[in-house]
Formats: sequence, structure tokens, C-alpha cells
Amino acid sequence: MNAAHVDELDRVELPDGFVWRPIRRRFDIRAFGVNAYTARAAGSPIVETHKETQLGHEEIYLVLRGRANFTIDGNEHELAAGQLVFVRDPALERGALAVDADTVVLALGGKPGEPYEVSAWEAMFAAVPAANREDWDEAIRIHDDALGERPDHPALLYNLACMEARGGRHLDALLHLQRSVELDPKWAAHAHSDADFAAIRSEPGFPV
Amino acid sequence: MRRRLDGGSQVAEAPAWPAPERRLDGYEILSLDELERYPSETHGGSVLLPLRQRLGLRAFGANCWTAEAGAQIVPRHFEESGDEELYVVVRGRASFAVGEDTLDAPAGTLVHVLPGTMRQATAEEPGTIVLAVGAPAGRAFEGRGWDEVVVAFAHGRAGDVERGRALMHDVAARQPDGWEAPYNLACFEARFGDADTAFEHLRRAVASAPAEVRGYAREDRDLASLRDDPHWQELFE
Repeated sequence: MNAAHVDELDRVELPDGFVWRPIRRRFDIRAFGVNAYTARAAGSPIVETHKETQLGHEEIYLVLRGRANFTIDGNEHELAAGQLVFVRDPALERGALAVDADTVVLALGGKPGEPYEVSAWEAMFAAVPAANREDWDEAIRIHDDALGERPDHPALLYNLACMEARGGRHLDALLHLQRSVELDPKWAAHAHSDADFAAIRSEPGFPV
Repeated sequence: MRRRLDGGSQVAEAPAWPAPERRLDGYEILSLDELERYPSETHGGSVLLPLRQRLGLRAFGANCWTAEAGAQIVPRHFEESGDEELYVVVRGRASFAVGEDTLDAPAGTLVHVLPGTMRQATAEEPGTIVLAVGAPAGRAFEGRGWDEVVVAFAHGRAGDVERGRALMHDVAARQPDGWEAPYNLACFEARFGDADTAFEHLRRAVASAPAEVRGYAREDRDLASLRDDPHWQELFE
């Protein structure tokens, strides 16, 4: 049976402080977005402060265990197990802190009227543990897999270039960075101050 | 009737969680215990907590089920709709049967099931709640309204026929094609309205899909009140 308990899910500690517990990726769900989140400690972030403007998702955050203090559009709401917030408007900023150390929040999302597409950020999150231990081959593989489905995703290409630059694959990094900037010029500005590109910044062809 | 309400009593338990239900601009907060509970005859007596309808979800389906300990909580079915589903045990404990496998599933368990796989679950503790999330892979989600039909029949059974009828027509308006909407309207009218209106809907259903409607209508208890009517013979015999 394709089943797991939330406590058995992978733990990916992210730089913003919250802990991603991948569900969609674990089961390879293709019809909607679903993940769980936990915190490093009571009082720590459990849901990243963000908007869904880019993806256009409507989202449900359901507290499965413990309590979380949500801030939605500037308003604070403490929710306990069995309570949820449905954020209909993608433009509203939302985030949460765990009140109890063992709090678990289930997040569900999708864009009304469109087939679900796997979000590019998943691959970036999934590559964090490999990047933390400087396993660049693994981090690059995770990005390559994601790009297999979405070959022209600028953010994925940019992140792949970061991993390649750190891993010593300088020519690949340059080519993927160029492609990212070609698709979305905003990435050129990011590249100029990104420490990941220190080794290739003086190479001919580095985006200006 | 393909999707309707059981005549049994609703499961009434004291809410275990506080009730912070609030509607705000662009978002909404609620407790699952605030959702109304509707036993569903066409779902083996499992009790529906209609979350999708309550929130007006448009991107995916999400509803909760509850049941008394020892009773079926997730109806035995596969997904004719093609929906991929994830079941989340939110509270209590359930035992799942998926294909040939079984699983003891305490709160926090996630069970993923592809559309063609038979699944069923039984509540093992009082107050168990299972959240079912579903949508088709590769296609946009469209709420087909089976959950609203369950609620509409509940209103009809409770004597609030107009409220139930209005909900049935809301569902039908979103499904102008096909036989299911007029067939369900016929069932509703046969149970709670009048025979002439029921036959009007039934004729439309038959015109849309004669073989399927005949197959369902022959055994459907909702239509029992129509079978001795001469119009029935005209339609089916």
C-alpha cells in the first residue's frame, strides 16, 4: 500500500527555518499539491511567509497536530489541531510559526481551472540536503529530473547553474545561466551578486 | 439515484475542537467540527462533512468523512471519475483496505490511491475523521457535485424541500450536458416533490443516455413511487 505516517516523511530543513515534509513527491501525486510542514522548535517558522501570486494557487493549511500561529494578510490567528485556514486569494501573504514543538501543518494547493503542474520549488527544496553536504552531483541530478518535465523553467535553470558552478562544471553552469537569463532577464541581476557564481563570474559570456 | 443521502440519523458528537469559524476577505478559517454532518445512503452510511462545498474549493476536491467506531468511514469504491486521491487520517484511527492490502492507520497517516484501485476504510475509534483529497491528473478539476447532492437529499429528508431542490438545480446548472443531472433531479422529485416533474427530468435523462438510465432506474429505490405510473411504462417498457 502506498501509505506513510507524517512522522515517517523525509525532513528537509530549509534556510528560512521551517521543515518541509514532502508528500506529493513521496507518492508522486500528479493531480494537486500537498505537503506537510513541521518546525525545528516551538516558536520557529512552520509555514514559509509567501504569496501564491506567481502560481495562482488557492491553498488550505490544516493543522494536523499541535498549534500554529498564522499571519494572513497581516492578521494573526492561532489554530489548533483540526482547524484550517483556506486562502482563496493568491495575492495574500501567509505564513505561520509553530506554537508547539511537535506541530504538523498539512498544505494543499492548486490553481482553479487548470491541470496541476508540479511546482519548480519542490526540486529546489529537495536539493537542499545534497547542497548542504556539497554533494553537487546529487543536487544537479535532482534539478535535471525536474527540468526533464519543465525544460524552460528559468528559476530551475538558474539553480541548476548554481549547483554546476559550485560543483566545478563551469561550462554547463555558464550555458544554463545564459539560458535562464534569456528566458527571464531578471536572473542576470541575481547572478551578479550570487556567491555560487564566484568561480565563473569573470568568464566570457557571463550575463551582464 | 447515484449519489444521495441515507435515511439514518446523523452522527452527533460533541465537538472536540474549538470553533473559530471566520470569513474574511480572501481567506477563511474554520474547524472541521463546524462542518455539518450528512450520512450518505449511497456511500454505505458513511457520514459526509462537505468541506469542498463549504469552502467553495475550485482547484481540487476535499471532503471529510466520519463514522461511529466499527462502521465504514471511507466508502468502498474506485474512482470512476479518474481522480487520484489522498486520504489523511485527521483524528482517531481507521483501518484501510486498498487493493489486496490492509493497514492500521492512526491519526497522521496518509494513504495514496490511484483511480482504478478499490479502497475502503473502517473507523476504529469514536470521532475518527478522514480527509479525502482528489483531482484528476492532467486535467483541470471540476466539482461534479455529488457531495452537494448528498446535502440536498438531507435537506429534502429533513422537510426543507425547497432548499434541497435549489441545491439540486445549482448542481444541474453546472452540468448542462449528460444524463446524471436530470436523473438526480428526477430522483429528488420522486422522493420529495411531485411525479410529473420527476418524469420531466427522467425523460431528459433517458433522451441523453437511454441504456444507462434504464440500467440504473430499474433498481433505484428513489424512483419506487413512479413505477406504477403509466408514464413509467411509456418510458421503459
